[in-house]
Amino acid sequence: MIAQVLAQAFESPTIDYHALAPEIVLVSFAALLILLDVVLLEKGRTFISALAGIGLLATMLPILTLAIDGTDRVMFGGAYVVDDFSLVMKAMFVLSGYVVVLLSTNYIAEGDYWENEYYGLLLASLTGMVMISSARDLISIFVALELLSIPVYMMATWRKRDIRSNEAGLKYYLMGVFASAVMLYGMSMLYGTAGSTLLVDIGEAVGGEETTSIVTLAVIFTIIGFAFKVSAVPFHYWAPDTYEGAPTPVTAYLSVASKAAGFVALLQLVMVGFYARDDVYEPVLWILAAASMTVGNLLALRQENVVRMMAYSGVAQAGFMLAPLAVAGKIGDDAVVATVTYLLIYAAMNLGAFAVIIALARKTGSATLDSFNGAFHYAPGLTVVMTMFLFSLAGIPPFGGWFAKFAVLAALIDANTAAGVVLAVVAAVNSVIALYYYGGLARRMWAEEAPDGDLTPVRVPVSLVAALGLAAGLTLLFGVFPNLVSEVSDVSLISTLGG
Amino acid sequence: MSVFAVDPLLAGEVGLEVLAVVLFKVLVVFVLLIVSVMLMIWAERKIISDMQNRIGPTRAGPWGILQTLADGLKLIFKEDLIPDNANRTVFKLAPLLTLVPAFLTFSIIPLGGDFTDKDGVISLFGNDTYLQLADPPIGLLLFLAMSSVAVYGIMLAGWSSGSKYPLLGSVRATSQMISYEAALGLTVAAVFLQSGSFSTHTIVSEQSVWQWNMWFTGFVPMAIFMIAATAELNRPPFDLVEAEQELVGGFHTEYSSIRFALFYLAEFMNTITISAIVVTIFLGGPNGPIFIDAVAWLWPILWFTVKLFALLFTFIWMRATLPRFRYDQLMDLGWKVLTPVALGWLLFLGARDVANDRGWNPVLVVGVAVTAFAVFGALLLRAVRMGKQVRELEEMRG
Amino acid sequence: MFIAAALIILSGAMGVIVARNPVHSALFLVQTLFGVAALFVLQEAHFLAAVQVIVYAGAIVILFLFVIMLLGVDKVEDLNVEPIAGQRPLAVVIGAAGIGLMLTVLVIATDVISGAHSSTGPLGESDIDEIAKSIFGDYVFAFQLTGVLLTIAVVGAVVLARRAATDPEPIPESAYDELVAAQIAARESTLTAEGGDGTAQDGEETTDDGEDSADDGEAET
Repeated sequence: MIAQVLAQAFESPTIDYHALAPEIVLVSFAALLILLDVVLLEKGRTFISALAGIGLLATMLPILTLAIDGTDRVMFGGAYVVDDFSLVMKAMFVLSGYVVVLLSTNYIAEGDYWENEYYGLLLASLTGMVMISSARDLISIFVALELLSIPVYMMATWRKRDIRSNEAGLKYYLMGVFASAVMLYGMSMLYGTAGSTLLVDIGEAVGGEETTSIVTLAVIFTIIGFAFKVSAVPFHYWAPDTYEGAPTPVTAYLSVASKAAGFVALLQLVMVGFYARDDVYEPVLWILAAASMTVGNLLALRQENVVRMMAYSGVAQAGFMLAPLAVAGKIGDDAVVATVTYLLIYAAMNLGAFAVIIALARKTGSATLDSFNGAFHYAPGLTVVMTMFLFSLAGIPPFGGWFAKFAVLAALIDANTAAGVVLAVVAAVNSVIALYYYGGLARRMWAEEAPDGDLTPVRVPVSLVAALGLAAGLTLLFGVFPNLVSEVSDVSLISTLGG
Repeated sequence: MSVFAVDPLLAGEVGLEVLAVVLFKVLVVFVLLIVSVMLMIWAERKIISDMQNRIGPTRAGPWGILQTLADGLKLIFKEDLIPDNANRTVFKLAPLLTLVPAFLTFSIIPLGGDFTDKDGVISLFGNDTYLQLADPPIGLLLFLAMSSVAVYGIMLAGWSSGSKYPLLGSVRATSQMISYEAALGLTVAAVFLQSGSFSTHTIVSEQSVWQWNMWFTGFVPMAIFMIAATAELNRPPFDLVEAEQELVGGFHTEYSSIRFALFYLAEFMNTITISAIVVTIFLGGPNGPIFIDAVAWLWPILWFTVKLFALLFTFIWMRATLPRFRYDQLMDLGWKVLTPVALGWLLFLGARDVANDRGWNPVLVVGVAVTAFAVFGALLLRAVRMGKQVRELEEMRG
Repeated sequence: MFIAAALIILSGAMGVIVARNPVHSALFLVQTLFGVAALFVLQEAHFLAAVQVIVYAGAIVILFLFVIMLLGVDKVEDLNVEPIAGQRPLAVVIGAAGIGLMLTVLVIATDVISGAHSSTGPLGESDIDEIAKSIFGDYVFAFQLTGVLLTIAVVGAVVLARRAATDPEPIPESAYDELVAAQIAARESTLTAEGGDGTAQDGEETTDDGEDSADDGEAET
């Protein structure tokens, strides 16, 4: 009887299923993949990756309809928001997930891995990412972050008979858990201060006239937690080892989607939660950005292994993405636009670069820089696209990368402060350093002789071609028509929440 | 403090007199538990002897009724051995860790009180109170919490002995107990759903003379609870923990004298407590018809005792007649049968409540539920069988 | 009451770190968790307290103990071996700095920590109702996805832990030693060749893990 009394007192939350549709579709497909494995066992291997791909495309549908609809939807008292920013990020996550599925298809099938669970984990992780782009309170952000991280910890260990893969997973896991703990500590202090988990409320409580020591500590801890996630210096130690040991498609996923998810959460926290506390977060982010760019690039110069090189270059790129946030207090939403622009372009070109690495490794079976020597002689097509991706990463027009770098630099200069200008100079110098090693790799591919004179062509499977085509097309498109990307990335976090 | 606010005794000002009443209750509960353990051990030995065509204890007292007391005295005066390899602090701590939870759990059991029209309130020395030591709002959760603390006693006893049979025994015991706690918790959740409260007092007062939760929750939770509780108690047929043929004596092999007696005591105390909890949550507790108004206070206590004894007899009966399970069978039963069924039943009860709330057609609800059960049960069976086949196939391939 | 609970928590936490024996550490952890449960009771969050005991003490630490016992690492650790030279002094310095920072914050902070109830207002009828309303109200989506998270974690863990009979031999323990040797060699060559700049840091990190696993291997055999 008491149960009935309670039932009347309880008001069910109103749920907008249209807004939640992307997550629901993804979760359903993840569950379907895992259930199919139970029922079909090995019989499912032939179509399981295709099914995962279909799942991701199906997820695009509600994202598109939501985008066409265009109204901002707010649920659960502001904890869950579907606006332009979140839709753009959702689309990016789902698309990069699709590319990762394409990359994985042959890699996983030929490597005698557990397949169904791999795609199940991938989709679950993507669910977390799709959720994190809408999450506007601490609990949702944390749940989404764990949902996207935990499957990836396990995917990094997927080559479980390879000791390096074990090492990769273990390191990533330990570092990730440590970062979560630090971040939770910060979050608990935020909640203690604000008495609410909603970022909007935290923004109000935190953004007083003067900062208190607890707030300072909370902001720093929370940012540090995400700095691990995006592998910013000095929290980048896990990145090279994990990237090297994990299966290469997972590495691609880590370096693009997982990193982007960290940025999405960071953007929301900084722009909505801490926005008025710029005297705290700006110096922290400034140091992180400058250190990441410099250290990442310098270390990348010395690498012998292309995956490790990409790892360090990823660290440096993370520095670029952090840079606009370091002046966010001055330029407001322009920082969001700059970072989102960079994220979108970076996703396309980095996935492309990994696609080429995977394709070439099918022949050479190794990832040392030497093994790329003379690739032009036996794989001219791959060499051309790889060069394109590398130049794009270095920021050379007409490929997408230049616009990303331009957006960041413009944002830094716009801030019109000494700190911003200095950071812009650091970024510019780093672009030049980066050109050296990106160019070095390209030179090897074009100019050197192939090892052992082996000139048998590389067989590139259809799915890899599709992935390459997608990535290359986008990189070129973004570079030639930067308006396209600025059209998409013209989003704001502050205005939609009135904060 | 609001912890006890439910009890009318403590609702007002807590004076010296009230404190005395509480102390008296503590004493009663304590003595009651000790005495009933004594009788329980004696009864168990007698009944099992009877079932096995033996006589059982006869010497100490009439029908050997004081046998337990004699055993206890003997154990107290024996030498207290601590093995060389033992981890001394933990070795000494472990028996206490099993004993204390056993006592604490009993404090939430309503032992009597007229629930027909007075809501279980009795008058003790002129103070209105419940005939139970404590009625915390978390009620049964305390039982679950304590049963999880009790695991520590067993686990640490085995580990700290520094010897391999106890370690094996304690690892077995612990995995068994945490496995069956899942099923146990889910059946208790069914009761929560039915009664809408965690408090044992409320659970009892939600039931009435003959309308017990056993009927309302459809008997399945009670059956599962009984099985899981037997496993939780490490009693036969689930006493792999101390399977003599394999493990000498299980986790308490290295224990002797009073420390051993404490384990023994705790084991039987837990049996009584769990039976009392079954009575409380499924069998209406002290609820029952009251015949002679002059001694109205006696009837609830009598009903409670009768129900309790019936359950204890069931436990003894099971011990006397059922052979011990094999370890993999035990785990299969816990994880692949009891837990899914308990979960499914909980969902069914939830669906029933929602259907009542919204006025859905009950026949339809039951039909859908049965179909869903059949489908998912079949899928589960298929998955289990496939897994088995694959395993066998792989073993054949080498 | 608050001070008693705080003392229980702090002494337990210290015990976790100080105890040489992993099992003792785990027991101190239980002590800490009970202290936290007591704090919950003080805040009139009885449900949380019970759940704290059931979940943390009853399940999580039990699993810790299981792992400790089954892996056979329940021996007192040998503190004389130092896997990485200079690691401990560094740890002391960083730890001291961290504690210093926290203490400074506590001292500067205007709110003195007491056992007083938080200012968010009184709980309603009971904390159980409030928690239920939050979980199935505003946080229902996060709650559901936590379910997904747990399921997926179980699936992944089972897949990773499962060893099919067709699997080749598991990674032999010597492989760890080889890896360590290779990494040490690589690190030394970097050190000698380039005079130990940035890359060495990375090498150091790698060696850390490798040697730890090698230690474990020896402990088992």
